[in-house]
Amino acid sequence: MSETDIIESVRVLRDEVLATAEHGDRDPPGAEVFDALLRALMIGGESLSSGLDLGLHDAVARRLAWGDSEDAILTDADLVFERILTAAERAFRDPADRLVIIEASTQVAVTVARVVSLAAVQRAARDRAARVREEMAQRQLRGVLQKQRASIVRLEQQTGDDGEPR
Amino acid sequence: MLRVAGTSNVGKVRTTNEDALVLEPQRGLYAVLDGMGGANAGDVASATARAAIIEFVAAHGDDMPPKQLVEQAIQHGCAAVHRAAQERTEHNGMGTTCVACLLVDAQHAIVAHVGDSRAYLHRNGRLQILTRDHTIVEELVDRGMLSPDEAERHPYKNVLSRNLGARVDTRVDLLELELKAGDRVMLCSDGLYGYASAEAIQYQLGSDDDPEHVANDLVELALRGGGGDNVSVIVIEAPPAAPSSTQLVRTSGAIGWWQHRQKFMQAARDGGLARNPIVRGLDPDEALELIALNLCEAIFHDLEKSTGVNVWTFAQNLAGGWFERGGGWTALREMVDILANASRVVVDAIRAADGELGFLLDVAVGRALVVAELALGGLLAERLRTMDADLIALQTAMQEADSRGEGPTAEDERDAGIDTGSRFIEQPTVPFLRADRPATVPGTSPEVLDAITKTLTIARARTAPRAELVREVLTALDAIAPDGGPEGLSTATTAARELYGVRPVDEAGIMPLFDALDQARIITTSSVHQIGVPDALRAKTLRAISVGHQRLVTAITTIVLESVAPISERLREVAADTSTLRDEVAAAERRRAELERKHAESIDHSLPWERRGTTEW
Repeated sequence: MSETDIIESVRVLRDEVLATAEHGDRDPPGAEVFDALLRALMIGGESLSSGLDLGLHDAVARRLAWGDSEDAILTDADLVFERILTAAERAFRDPADRLVIIEASTQVAVTVARVVSLAAVQRAARDRAARVREEMAQRQLRGVLQKQRASIVRLEQQTGDDGEPR
Repeated sequence: MLRVAGTSNVGKVRTTNEDALVLEPQRGLYAVLDGMGGANAGDVASATARAAIIEFVAAHGDDMPPKQLVEQAIQHGCAAVHRAAQERTEHNGMGTTCVACLLVDAQHAIVAHVGDSRAYLHRNGRLQILTRDHTIVEELVDRGMLSPDEAERHPYKNVLSRNLGARVDTRVDLLELELKAGDRVMLCSDGLYGYASAEAIQYQLGSDDDPEHVANDLVELALRGGGGDNVSVIVIEAPPAAPSSTQLVRTSGAIGWWQHRQKFMQAARDGGLARNPIVRGLDPDEALELIALNLCEAIFHDLEKSTGVNVWTFAQNLAGGWFERGGGWTALREMVDILANASRVVVDAIRAADGELGFLLDVAVGRALVVAELALGGLLAERLRTMDADLIALQTAMQEADSRGEGPTAEDERDAGIDTGSRFIEQPTVPFLRADRPATVPGTSPEVLDAITKTLTIARARTAPRAELVREVLTALDAIAPDGGPEGLSTATTAARELYGVRPVDEAGIMPLFDALDQARIITTSSVHQIGVPDALRAKTLRAISVGHQRLVTAITTIVLESVAPISERLREVAADTSTLRDEVAAAERRRAELERKHAESIDHSLPWERRGTTEW
């Protein structure tokens, strides 16, 4: 089967792999993985290398920005990977075609994992920096609190108001 | 059928064509000769060698093994040129190159060459050079006396180390070539490859044009590149592969099926489709179009794409819709049988016209109908599962009612003749439909296990010794890939923890691991193509390894996520502390402001400023 035919045939499996019927008009979870697979097949052939799929980076970043967790993205990718292999096993009779799809699917799965891990460690770096800022803010606040308390003690003495209800 | 074409052109600079071609289809012999030597001796040399080679092959073609025949023929040509060069002073020093291809049969050829005329093989879109130029510089590179870079700049890079005519005999390089369907072998003089890029040659040889056009286009290419020398090209094309049965079904089969759609609909009508309860109330033509034509189209698309998706969807829609309307199984069974019989009528008609195609379609359409049956089976099983769940819910409700004393007593039931024994089984009765059933992962048969081991052995051998991490990944795959079941997940997790080890949670710490995983993926994927197994087994092997790889990658990513989780958790804690502190500061500020206000009210304004007292913070 030519590359174009394989891509067309894989495209036919979209509804089955992504279970689109369950998600109405919204993009089903894992759609970014399926789209990345199509892109990998388009540029693939025999030379599927670990190319930088910016589309996939972008899609994962968008999901993270909308509040999806890295775990959720990884789980969706696992599910799509498993379903694609199962669907390809059934839908493609020529083992050579299956080989191409397995190869591309694995590449995409590894790339998703890489992107998710990268996002996680970048988030960790941001969190570390944020923690440092918080700790600095805490030091300042403690200083302010100390001065306030001293001031309150002095004022209580001057006014005779120790805060207890009379 | 084997197709061959050859052409030669004087070029744009030279006045004589010193190249000669041998095109002897009866003997299967083809050759390009490029003569050299002053005073028009080049064309004499190539013509002399050409005549001698043809003469030798004609005389000994039937009584010599092919390899020996072509070698001896070239030696004969060499001796003839040498003799002619000795006979006349003005021919002294003349010589010629020779690249020849002797076709033994449709699958085998012998390529022989002396000098710098070349043979190329174009296979599956790739161009490969079959010969090595016999130049002094090339031989110095072979002996390690020159580097390839130095060779490129060497003043004698075009000086031949071997030719026909310089001596009475020469050494001939021979290559046995196994031809595959669609292969193109090209013989050419240096006038082609010296003036046309390899990419352009590859492009022309890869075109669908016939060899004659390709040869002419190649010569044209060299002329456009300057045409500084004589250009000669012979293109030999092996017969294309016979279409596979899959291709036949996808092309002729699908078209044949679609052309018989009226017959299919007629057969469905005769079978009583319009009377089936499923289409009750519909106009017969409308019913036929809705059911028969739709299935016919679904089968056509599935034949065309070698899938079963369309028929599956059709069957699910048909049965799903019918069941939703409360329809029974009998009508559906009858409908499917009518459609299956109509398919049989069409397949029989095609078989009568073309036995082979009919047989292939019989198998393919039969498979499509099996897919439809599977879809129906799935829906029925789903109905059973729902019913089972309802029954269990009902029993639970009854048991709860019993325990509250609201249900009928045992006496009531005995009187009513109800068996209160195990009326229902508490577990779902269709266990294979449980949502949590393990996915069946093919690939654990002994053959697959053996192929996995071989693949990973090749992959390890191909891994650079310094790539420790990649080797560790391959070792991990060795443990994970053979176990496609749920146990493989825990193996993957253990292997992932070992691989992850102790590393900083940042890009510099994590990315080398993912690079190694990717590297291992690329190596295993190419290694799986090197094991000698049928393609179907190869696909199973790659699938097993890929599933293992994906599990390993997921496990490592999970560990990464676990590693970063405490950092985020700590941030949340610190942020919560900051928030508490802010609240405390705000409360203290309120208290201080209140005291300030009180203090201000208590001040005696008649006192001097410095005795009024003040607040400070």
